[in-house]
Amino acid sequence: MNKATKLVVSISTLFRQTRSSTFRCNPIPTIAIINSQTHLRRRESLEPNGLRFAGRVFCSESGVKRSFFKCWNCGFSSEKVAFLFCDSCRSIQPVDDSVDYFQIFGLEKKYEIDDGILEGKYKDWQKKLHPDLVHNKSKKERDYAAEQSAKVTEACRTLTKRLSRAMYIMKLNGINVNEEDTITDPALLMEIMELREAIAEANDSNELNQIRSQVQEKLKQWSDSFVKAFESQRFDEAVKCIQRMTYYERACEEIVKKL
Amino acid sequence: MMLRQAAKKALGLTSRQSTPWSVGISRLYHENVIDHYDNPRNVGSFDKNDPTVGTGLVGAPACGDVMKLQIKVDEKTGQITDARFKTFGCGSAIASSSVATEWVKGKAMEEVLTIKNTQIAKHLSLPPVKLHCSMLAEDAIKAAVKDYKEKRVKTNGAAAAGETTQA
Repeated sequence: MNKATKLVVSISTLFRQTRSSTFRCNPIPTIAIINSQTHLRRRESLEPNGLRFAGRVFCSESGVKRSFFKCWNCGFSSEKVAFLFCDSCRSIQPVDDSVDYFQIFGLEKKYEIDDGILEGKYKDWQKKLHPDLVHNKSKKERDYAAEQSAKVTEACRTLTKRLSRAMYIMKLNGINVNEEDTITDPALLMEIMELREAIAEANDSNELNQIRSQVQEKLKQWSDSFVKAFESQRFDEAVKCIQRMTYYERACEEIVKKL
Repeated sequence: MMLRQAAKKALGLTSRQSTPWSVGISRLYHENVIDHYDNPRNVGSFDKNDPTVGTGLVGAPACGDVMKLQIKVDEKTGQITDARFKTFGCGSAIASSSVATEWVKGKAMEEVLTIKNTQIAKHLSLPPVKLHCSMLAEDAIKAAVKDYKEKRVKTNGAAAAGETTQA
């Protein structure tokens, strides 16, 4: 057993022995260590259910009772938080908000993803969770399945489109892009004004399609800029890229409406 | 276009009758908003380079809206004589900017700076989710006034420089 696993086992035995909430404060320094180990392990293994450390759950604010996973059905408890199914009795579990969309699909938390994997995994999960396919399970499980299925669909939708994926990944890093601030950047606004005016004045579908392909070019370009900015942690620039992308997406929607 | 038809269908309006708008369907637009959408006042542009014109160009990146509000100012009195707007966005944003152009006409520049988004929102009965549209209109007014003042400083500065070189 390696160092990381040893640490987890010792911490979890500590928790099992004393289930008092006062312990919430103490393990924080060790949690930091566990978390960095977790980070390393996750990069090595691409398996979706690979070593999900209890360290992550320790930090959740919902209290000590969620610090390790306990199945509602069979009472099986483990340090591993099951995403959908209990490992022991395979019953469906309620939605756990600490699981993020990338984890659902077994993807690394970065902007560039493989669309094929996304689609494949989505179909896999829906085969197990879709409300139409869980008739033979108890009502409770069917309800959980419905919630999980909705979350998986939402996750797929968010990660499929570049713009929503970008905004989600920023949110995971604690940066909320959708703030209702007004901007006055004259260059950007002039460009968008002229673009929207051109769309409004365009009369035939040829013109509109031409404009659309130009806008999609721009979208791709700014999407690439976003990746660079995000990966170099230049978050202000990343936000600006997302703002531009939002404007171009809105323009595309207008074009589609007109066509 | 789509909004107009949808709105007319939703309210069953063929003429400007007043309807109890709060009939439980939260997506209804208030009749003031529909009025501004159907009969937009002051849509258009002034020449940006005209020294009596102030142009305010603002945007709301969260929803991809752009709003341009222009004012024409009487140089001697400092009163706004005319206004135009051009907005690309939702019905609430269009109505907010339309209301803004109506309200600034005939007022002094310092006075229009006191127009608050809450007043516009109240006039249009905007739901909370659309409050930022009225904020955008308030910002557009301020930007237009600021632009005009900056232009005046530039032209005055140029004139003063001309005088000194001549003297």
